[in-house]
Amino acid sequence: MAAPGPGEYFSVGSHVSCLTCLGQQLQGEVVAFDYQSKMLTLKCASSSGKPNLNDVILINLAYVSDVDIIHDRTETPPPLASLNVSKLANRARTEKEDKLSQAYAISAGVSVEGQQLFQTIHKTIKDCKWQEKNIIVMDDVVISPPYQVDNCRGKEGSALSHVRKIVEKHFRDVESQKSMQRSQAQQTQKDSTLSS
Amino acid sequence: MSMKAGGNRGKPGGGNAAGAAASGAGGSGGGRPNLGRGRHSGKGPAAVIFNGVYANMRMVHVLTSVVGTKCELKVKNGAVYEGVFKTYGPECDLVLDAAHRKSPEPSLGPRKEDIVDSIIFKASDVVVVTFKDVDLNFARKVSSDTDNFTDASVSGRINGEHKEKDLEPWDGGDTHNSDSLESLDTDVSNGWDPNDMFKYNEEKYGVLSTYDSSLSTYTVPLERDDSEEFQKREARAAQLAEEIEASATYKARVALENDERSEEEKYTAVVRGERETHMLSRENKYIPPGQRNREAMSWGAGRQNSPRLGQSSAGASASRPGPHDYSPNSGPDQRVVNGGPPRMSPKSQRTPRAHRVPPSRISSVSTGVDLGSHNPPGEVSAAPPTRSSSSGGTWSSVVSGAHRPRSPRQNNMGRASPGSSSLSSPQTGTAPVETVATLTLASSPAAAASPAPNMVASPSGDAKECRVQETRQSSPSANNDNMKPLDNSPSITRPLCKGPPSMAPDHRKQIDNLKQFSVDFRLQPSSNPDPAFDQMMTKPVRDPSDKPKDLALDKASAVGRDGPEQGAAGLAAGSSGAVPASSSSATATSKPGSPAAPSPSPSAPDQKRGGQDVISQGVQTTATMGGPKHEEKEEKKEAVQDQVRKSTLNPNANEFKPRFNAQPKPANTPTPPRPQGQPSPSIVVQQPPAVYGCFPQMYPLTPVSPGVQSPAVYQVQMPHMAVSQSKPYRTGKVPNMPQQRSDQHHPPGTPTMMHPATAAGPPIVAQNPVYSAQYFTCSPQQFTSQPLVQQMPHYQSQAQHMFSPVMQSSARMMGPPTHGQPGLVSSSTTQYPEQTHTMYVSQGPMPQQYPHPNATLHPHPQHPQPSATPTGQSHQGGPPQHGGPQSHPAASPVQHPQHQQAAAAAAAAAAQALHLSNAPPQQQLYSALAPTPPSMTPNPQSPQASFPSAQQTVYIHPQQVQHGYNPSHMAHVQQVGRCLNVCERPGIRTSNLSAF
Repeated sequence: MAAPGPGEYFSVGSHVSCLTCLGQQLQGEVVAFDYQSKMLTLKCASSSGKPNLNDVILINLAYVSDVDIIHDRTETPPPLASLNVSKLANRARTEKEDKLSQAYAISAGVSVEGQQLFQTIHKTIKDCKWQEKNIIVMDDVVISPPYQVDNCRGKEGSALSHVRKIVEKHFRDVESQKSMQRSQAQQTQKDSTLSS
Repeated sequence: MSMKAGGNRGKPGGGNAAGAAASGAGGSGGGRPNLGRGRHSGKGPAAVIFNGVYANMRMVHVLTSVVGTKCELKVKNGAVYEGVFKTYGPECDLVLDAAHRKSPEPSLGPRKEDIVDSIIFKASDVVVVTFKDVDLNFARKVSSDTDNFTDASVSGRINGEHKEKDLEPWDGGDTHNSDSLESLDTDVSNGWDPNDMFKYNEEKYGVLSTYDSSLSTYTVPLERDDSEEFQKREARAAQLAEEIEASATYKARVALENDERSEEEKYTAVVRGERETHMLSRENKYIPPGQRNREAMSWGAGRQNSPRLGQSSAGASASRPGPHDYSPNSGPDQRVVNGGPPRMSPKSQRTPRAHRVPPSRISSVSTGVDLGSHNPPGEVSAAPPTRSSSSGGTWSSVVSGAHRPRSPRQNNMGRASPGSSSLSSPQTGTAPVETVATLTLASSPAAAASPAPNMVASPSGDAKECRVQETRQSSPSANNDNMKPLDNSPSITRPLCKGPPSMAPDHRKQIDNLKQFSVDFRLQPSSNPDPAFDQMMTKPVRDPSDKPKDLALDKASAVGRDGPEQGAAGLAAGSSGAVPASSSSATATSKPGSPAAPSPSPSAPDQKRGGQDVISQGVQTTATMGGPKHEEKEEKKEAVQDQVRKSTLNPNANEFKPRFNAQPKPANTPTPPRPQGQPSPSIVVQQPPAVYGCFPQMYPLTPVSPGVQSPAVYQVQMPHMAVSQSKPYRTGKVPNMPQQRSDQHHPPGTPTMMHPATAAGPPIVAQNPVYSAQYFTCSPQQFTSQPLVQQMPHYQSQAQHMFSPVMQSSARMMGPPTHGQPGLVSSSTTQYPEQTHTMYVSQGPMPQQYPHPNATLHPHPQHPQPSATPTGQSHQGGPPQHGGPQSHPAASPVQHPQHQQAAAAAAAAAAQALHLSNAPPQQQLYSALAPTPPSMTPNPQSPQASFPSAQQTVYIHPQQVQHGYNPSHMAHVQQVGRCLNVCERPGIRTSNLSAF
C-alpha cells in the first residue's frame, strides 16, 4: 500500500511464485507486501496437509528472483479481523517454554525415540515434563527409557492405562510412518530418475 | 512484546495516510542501522505515525497473527534458524525466541546449550521465513462463526477502513411477519410428528426410514395355528399369566406403577415424621432467620409457630388482634400439619406412627371437630367442637405433629397402661367418632390441666396405633381414640370413644376425601383439617371465628363429652372423677368446671384445667362451656373471632400453608385433649394434693412458671402413676419413655427443636433437648418411682432442671413465670406477647415462652384449665403424661402446644397455687385475664389449639410447654384467654376435682 499500491506490485489475493537466492521455489497467495522492507508474505496450503492450517512464508524480495504472478486478483481483499494480542503472547510464551524444556531434556541425553514420544504425549496431555530421562505425565505416570509400553509405571488407574494407550499408539504410528517414508522416498527417487 | 503491541496498534490505527507517511520516512531510511533503534524508536513513532511495516496494516496483521508460532528463518548465508516468532520491528526486523541454528542433519531437537533465548534478525539478513501449520484464525477475537453480526463485530471487521458504517434497519417484510414469526409464537405443537420427520427426510434428503411399527427387528410375530400343541401352550400361557397377575407381588408392583399418587406426594412431599427427624438433625444447626420461617413453614408447626408466635406474640403485645390473627393462621397450620402427619404415616410407619399419632391427636382434635361438623347428627355438639377444632384443630394438628412422636409413645404407654387405665382403650374406641374426638379434645383440655401431659402422651400413643392401623384418615379417628384414651383413659373416654369410633369410620371416609383435598391443599392432616382448611382457606379469619363459635357450641357439647371423659378419667382415678364425668357427659364437664372453680385450690386447678381444656378446645369448648356459661362461650367466641381475625392477620401466615400447618399443629398439640383425657381421668384424683405441694415447691424453686408447671405436671403424673397407671407407666411408660426419648424425643425433640429453633433459634433447641431430657428423665423416674413422694422430688428436681434450663435459656422465662405466678395475670398477659415475641425473635423463646405460659395469662386461661388439670387432672395427667414427658419429646411440634400448654399448665400451676391460696381471686383474675388472653388466644392457637395445648400444657407443661410454647405460646395466650374463660369453668372442674 505504501508507495506502489496494491495494483503496482502485488495485490492481496494474487497468487505468485518466486525463486529465492538459495534456490528455493516458493508459491502462494499474497497476504501482504511491504514496499519499504520489500517483504512479501505468502499464504500456502499447509505442508502437513491439515485443512484448517496454513503455511505462512515471509519473503524478502531483495533475495528473490523470477517473481511471477500466476494470476492477479482485482477484488478488494476481505477486511481484517482484530486480534487477541494477549492470546498471541501466551502462545509465544508457552511455545518458548516448551522448546526450552524439550531442549533441556534433549541435552540430558534423551534418545530420539524418547523425544518423539514426548512430543506425541504432549499433544494429548499438556501436563507432561522431563525429569532427567524420564517422562512424567500428570505427576502420576513415569515413563523411563527406553520408553516402551512396559516402561510406563505408576499408580494403577485410568491415568496409567491411558498413557499406555498413547505410548502404544505412538510406536505403532512411528512404524507406519517409517514404512511410508521409505516408500515415499523410493517413489521420489523413481520420479526423479524418470524426470531426469 | 512491546513491538507486537506497537504493531497491533499500528494495524488498527494505521491509516492510509499514515502508511504513506511512514513509507516515506521509513522506507528511505533504509536503515538497517536503525533497526535497533527502529524497534525502540518504533514504539514512540508508532503512537504518532506508524513507521515502516507498522504502517502496512496487512503486513502487521499477518505477522501478528503468526506470533507465537514456530518458524524456520533462512538467512543470506543459507543458515536456518528455528525459533518461536516473537515479534517484529517497524523495519521488519524479526525476533525469534528460543532460537537455535538448525543443523543440516535431521535431529529431533536442539540441545539446551544450542538455544539462544532471543535473536533479532535484521530484515536485510532474512531471505525467507517459513511458518508452518499456522492457524491464522487463532487469535481472532470474534470467530467468524460465532458472532459476526453484532454491531461490534461488524464494525470490528472493517476496522479502520471505514469510519462508521451506516446501520440499516432490518425490514423482514410482510411475509416474514405473517408466516415464520407468528407461526413460532402460535405453534404449540411439541416438535415434529415422527411421520412428518420421515416424510421430510424422504423428500428433502431422500432418506427412507427403516422404522417398522411391528418392531420385527426386536421380536418375531407369534405364529398362530390350530394345532393342539399351540392351544395347549396358549392355555398354559393364559394360566400362568393369571397366576402371575393374581399374585400379591404382581399386584403390589402394578400398584406401584399405577399409583395415582403423584411423585411429589410419594417422594417429595414433606412428611411429618421425617420432618421431625429433620428437625432433630437440624436441631444443632444454626438456621438463618429467613430459613427458619421456611422450615417452620415446611417442617413444623413448631418453627412456624415460633415465628408466628413471635409475631403473634409481638402482635399480641401490640394488641389482641394479633393473636387472633395468629389463631386463624394456626388453624390453617394445624390443618396443614395434620395433613403432614398423614403423609408421614403413609411413608414410614415408625415416624409416621409418631407423626401419625400426633396427627391422630391433631386429627382427633381437629378431625374430631371436623368430623363433628361433618356429622351433624350425633355430632351436633361435636360439630361445633370441630369448628373450634378447626382453629384449634389446626393447632392441635400441629401439636399433634409435634406430639405425634410422643403420642406414639404415649399411646404405647396408654396401651400398656390401658389395662390399668381403661381410658386409653375406650378413648381409642371413641376416637373414631368425631364427636368423641371433639369430646376427647374437650376432655383432653379438661384433663389437660393435670392429665394433659399423660393424656397427650397416651393419646398420641393410641393415635399412633390407630394411625398405624388406620390410614391417615383413620388416624384422625385414631387420634380421637388416642385422645380419648389419653384423656378418657379412665372410664369416660371409653364411652365417648365408643360413640366416636362408629363415627370414626364415616369420618375416616370423609377424612379420606378431606385428605385428598388436604393433599391438594397440602392440608394433609385429615379430613378435619380439610374442613377447617376449606373454611380457613376460604374464610380463614371468619371461619375460625365462626368455627370457634359454632365449635364453641359443638365444643360445648364436645367439652361436655370431654368433661365426661375427664370425669371418666376422674372416675377411673377416683370416684370423684366419675361424678364429673357423669355430669360432664354433655357439657357437664365444662359446667362442672365452672361450679368447681370456686372449689378448693386443688380442685380448682383441676377444674380450671378442665375449664382450660374446654377453653382450649376451643373457643369451641367454650361454646360447650357456653351452654352452661354462655357468657364465657360468647367471650370465647369473641376471642375466637378475634383470634380468627387475628388469624386473618396470620392468614398471611396461612398463605404459608406450612407455617399454618405448623401453627395449627401446635394448636393440635395443644389438643391437649389427650392430656386432658388422660390426665383428667386418673391424675386428677390422686395428684391434686401432691401436685399442689409440688407446685408450690416448684414455684419457689423455679421462678419460672414452666418449672412450676412441670412440677405440677410431674406431680400429677406421679399420682397417676401411683394410681392405676403405675403399671402402664412403669411398663408401658418406661418403654414409652424410651420410645419417646428415642422416637418421640427425636421427632418431638427435633420438632421441638425445630420449633425452638424456628421460634427462638439455636437456644431453643438446646433448651428443648434439655426439656426433652428432663421430661424423659422425669417420666422414667416417675414411672420408676411410683410413690408420689419420690416422684414429687423427681419432679421438683426435674422441674428445677427444667427451670434451670429455662432460666438459662432466658431470664425472661423466669420473669414471665414469676409474673404468671404472682397472679399478675394481666401483666403476664402482656408479658406473654412480649415473651412470645422474644421467644420468636431470640432463642430465648423457650424460656420466654415458658414465662409466657406462666406469666402470660395463657397460664391463667390455661392456668384455669391447667389449674384444673394441673391440680386434679394435670396431676392425673402427670402420670399419664409421663406420657406427657413423652409428649414433650415426641411432641416437639406437639410440645409447642404442649409447651404452651405446659406454660399454661405452669401458669395454671402457679395460678393453681394462687388458686389454692386464693382460688376465687385468682379465678377472678383469670376471668379478667381471660378477656385479654382471649384476644391473645384468638391468635391462631388460642381457639382450638390453645385449648388443646392448654390441656396438654398442663400435662407436659414444663417440657412441652417450653418446646411447644414458642409456637403455641400465642395460642396459649389465646388459650389463656380461653383458660380465663375456662377458669370460670375451671371452677366447675375444680368443683369436680373437689368432688374427686
